[in-house]
Amino acid sequence: MGIAQDITQQPIIYRVVDLVKEYRMGEVTVAALRGITLDVREGEFLVILGHSGSGKSTLLNIMGGLDTPTSGQVFYCDQELTGYTERQLTEYRRHHIGFVFQFYNLMPSLTARENVEMATEISEHPLDPAEALGLVGLQSREDHFPSQLSGGEQQRVAIARAVAKGPHILLCDEPTGALDVATGKIVLQVLADVNVRTRTTLVVITHNAVIGELADRVVRMQDGHVVEIKVNAARKNVDQVEW
Amino acid sequence: MISPLTKKTLRTLYRNRGQVLAVAAVVLCGTACYIALSSCHRNLMLTRDTYYAENRFADFEIQLERAPESVLFRVQEIPGVRQVRGRITEEVKLEAPGLDEAKTGRIVSMPETRRSVINNVVLTQGRYFDTGAVNEVILSERFAQANGLGIGESLYATIDGRKHTLKIVGLGASPEYVYIIRSMTSLVPEPERFAILWVPEKFAEDAKNMQAACNNIVGTLDDPESAERVLDAAADLLKPYGVYAKTSREHQVSNRFISDEIKGLGVQARVLPTIFLGVAALVIFIVLNRMVRNERTQIGLLKAYGHGNLTIALHYMQYALAQSLIGAAGGFIVGQWLASGMIRLYVRFYTFPILRARMYPDVLVESMGIAVFFSLLGAVLAAYRAARIHPAESMRPGAPQRGRRTFFERYPALWRRLSFTWKMIVRNVSRNGFRAGLNVFVVMISTAQLIVGFYAIDAITYVIDFQYKMTQRQDATVSLFFERGKDALLETARLPHVREVEPLLQYPFEMRNGWHKKDAVIVGMSREGNLQRLLDTEDRPVDVGESGLVLSSALARSLHVGAGDEVELKPLMGKVTKEKRVPVSRVVEQYFGMSGYMNIEALSRVLDEPYTMNAVLVRTDRGTASSLHDEVKDVPVVASVELREDALKNLQDTLATSMRIMGVTSIVFAGVIAFSIIYNVTMVSLGERERELASLRVLGFTQREVGAILFNENFLTGALGVLLGIPAGMAMVWGMMHAFDMELFRFPFYIAPRTYVISTALTVTFIVFANLAVRWKINRLDMVETLKSRD
Ligand SMILES: Nc1ncnc2c1ncn2[C@@H]1O[C@H](COP(=O)(O)OP(=O)(O)OP(=O)(O)O)[C@@H](O)[C@H]1O
Ligand SMILES: [Mg+2]
Repeated sequence: MGIAQDITQQPIIYRVVDLVKEYRMGEVTVAALRGITLDVREGEFLVILGHSGSGKSTLLNIMGGLDTPTSGQVFYCDQELTGYTERQLTEYRRHHIGFVFQFYNLMPSLTARENVEMATEISEHPLDPAEALGLVGLQSREDHFPSQLSGGEQQRVAIARAVAKGPHILLCDEPTGALDVATGKIVLQVLADVNVRTRTTLVVITHNAVIGELADRVVRMQDGHVVEIKVNAARKNVDQVEW
Repeated sequence: MISPLTKKTLRTLYRNRGQVLAVAAVVLCGTACYIALSSCHRNLMLTRDTYYAENRFADFEIQLERAPESVLFRVQEIPGVRQVRGRITEEVKLEAPGLDEAKTGRIVSMPETRRSVINNVVLTQGRYFDTGAVNEVILSERFAQANGLGIGESLYATIDGRKHTLKIVGLGASPEYVYIIRSMTSLVPEPERFAILWVPEKFAEDAKNMQAACNNIVGTLDDPESAERVLDAAADLLKPYGVYAKTSREHQVSNRFISDEIKGLGVQARVLPTIFLGVAALVIFIVLNRMVRNERTQIGLLKAYGHGNLTIALHYMQYALAQSLIGAAGGFIVGQWLASGMIRLYVRFYTFPILRARMYPDVLVESMGIAVFFSLLGAVLAAYRAARIHPAESMRPGAPQRGRRTFFERYPALWRRLSFTWKMIVRNVSRNGFRAGLNVFVVMISTAQLIVGFYAIDAITYVIDFQYKMTQRQDATVSLFFERGKDALLETARLPHVREVEPLLQYPFEMRNGWHKKDAVIVGMSREGNLQRLLDTEDRPVDVGESGLVLSSALARSLHVGAGDEVELKPLMGKVTKEKRVPVSRVVEQYFGMSGYMNIEALSRVLDEPYTMNAVLVRTDRGTASSLHDEVKDVPVVASVELREDALKNLQDTLATSMRIMGVTSIVFAGVIAFSIIYNVTMVSLGERERELASLRVLGFTQREVGAILFNENFLTGALGVLLGIPAGMAMVWGMMHAFDMELFRFPFYIAPRTYVISTALTVTFIVFANLAVRWKINRLDMVETLKSRD
């Protein structure tokens, strides 16, 4: 599947300016982010690469409104997130953000479909839960409980749940981290499809440099800095890469 | 050196301090109850026994018309009798310069010189009679204090229509008047309104014209068990002298009240702490089981490092123990404080010149012991499970939580309509049935406990209302020394402000049906009566009829008679001694006592009189009842005037504090139990579902929405608990009513509608408080931290 759009022409959805995050632990201060500046464009597929401890999750969490920075600003559609109250951040997550984590965090007491419905119940422009499950190829399993699904299937339900809210941005922190290669590929394919079909901005954190080839751009982080931003001329398809 | 495991315990205790304190609070209530009730129980028992022994409380008492003193020797010779004493006792009307109204009292004759006699008087102030002095009196202390009477002042006592002057030389108390009550229908003791006057024998003999005679015999026995046999023998012996009443110590009114109270305290001292500590054990059970499941891997690791099973088990026991010790320590202080408060409350009802209030080290040790026992009971299963964990197995992740279809899903139409919050709640409740069940149970107990607590207040209020608003509607009761004819009614009716009068004749009888015998009062009332009415427990007026006898059901039961049967009546007073047979026309349920009722004309005929009364009931113009006192002050035949308003006020004053205490205690008890359990269970739930809830927050659920998942579950179980609690409360009330179905008094089955509302509202408040405490924790849920790792 070739990607026709030119990402650099898309409007900016995120502007991250001089973002610093420090953790104070008694005497010592650990800096997780040491001045990140970054733009994210609408509809793009962005991959963040970096060694363990380089600050990827910290950045994603702040962008997603789960955490607040020590200094610096994050603008989302020209709104300054960094000044938001807890309540506003919740509202922001509710209507704009979809998260996918390494661990699926489904509600064990709800079926796949109910897990998705849970998200659609609170959103303004939700997808039909069945449609969302269709996107991840799990219609037939909608009445199963998480404990009756494999890890990959659970992760796909988690993606369906995130997507079903109809978010503007999908933030994924190592979505394939707990999966084997084959399953990981399926999951990535699902994410890429969603990005294309629903024009949802997709940010994926990974350790795996190969995954970067699927994206429009790759941000490489090290020690709390952005050290490189690579623009891919063309996005590759999942079955075109090997890892 | 503190061992690392102990350090872990301390740290866990600190981290879970909210939960720990909630458990400790329940243990505190349990131990405090135990200490307070047991100490009070022992103090009262010790006080009573010391008081009785030091002042030689009689084993039996016989009230008679008049007997020569010589007969005492013959009573003395009845086998089993140790010692006897003849006395003169008599109801009197009392006046004093300081009193604004006449009061009633009882004179009790005492030897001229101070000796240790049966039913001795304890001097709390002043002195005993001077040798040769006649007109001296030792007055009951509570009465003197309440009425501003002091040593050196004078009293006027009207005995058999003659007024005598008595000088107060001392204040005192006696073991036979611990619970001072004027009549069996009084709801509360009246030491301030009813005086006991201990007078020199000589005075009593002159006043009653009973030289070398007596009308009351008290005695001690070698073996208190033989009381009934001795009393029967004595009654036979004394027959010619007109025996009115014979009472063993067991049935002596004052002793009966105090001993019932002590017995009740003893029961409560066991029941209440068991409830609290049982609840604490349950909470500990739930919290520790959860903790052991959480710490599986840690436990495995510890074992891999060489810690023995016992060490691990003890580690968890230690955690439970620490909570109960914190609670018990608080219980020590609160318990002591409560004990002293309770004794002070008791002294309002019971008159003890000496008070043995001690601290009982063994009670403290016992309370500690039971607190420890219950906490270990709660911990033992978790500790056992911890000890059984296999190091290698523990490293593997535990079985995943399974979702399961519930009963409700068989109705898809219904199920689909539920929001996912409720779906989660329903599934969670069905998965953690035990915990949800515990919540339901605890709310049920809490509601029931509140209903029972408030019921006590409702019942008392109801009975007061019943007694003073529906049954006795007169503003004043004028009691007479002798039976009088219709003229008494006419004379009273002529007094100023009197609107309505009604006659009343109360007369003691021995009632007999075959070998079933009972002494009781028959109340003769006018059939057209409007002031004093006879009502059954359904509030329906009962017609006394023309001639038959209406019996209270308690009395009918004890005589084994029913409507249509006949009873033999023998007057216990006056000149008529002939027995008469009277048919029982009806049996009515009543709250109070053992009484019979008859048409006053029929009762007069039993006494061989055409129409006689010994009290006149009066309704006056509004607010003028108290002027009656002045009007009848100098009428010798008037023994006393009792105003309804005074009686009501006295009743309410005496009961107000106890009712407040009852109300507050049940609220505190129910609150502590409900809060502690719900809070702990919810915290355990929160601990288990932290991930779930954090990921909901990530999805954009607000704190309130996330909280609702836990809270609505509590409200759901709470609603069920309240629904069950109401019938449970009613059942407990019903049980209590029957447990306390005493001869003298029975509780009405009356729960005010308000009680249900307040109990429900309070229970809901407890749930809300527990939720708020959990909410505090939910608001501090760290999403990033929680979701970082795999659970
Ligand atoms: N709560 C915290 N307290 C202290 N330091 C923290 C905290 N969270 C993160 N850090 C530190 O911040 C730095 C960045 O962490 P972050 O989780 O963003 O790294 P990462 O790039 O996501 O690593 P990984 O690939 O292992 O997930 C790390 O050095 C980490 O130790
Ligand atoms: Mg990370």
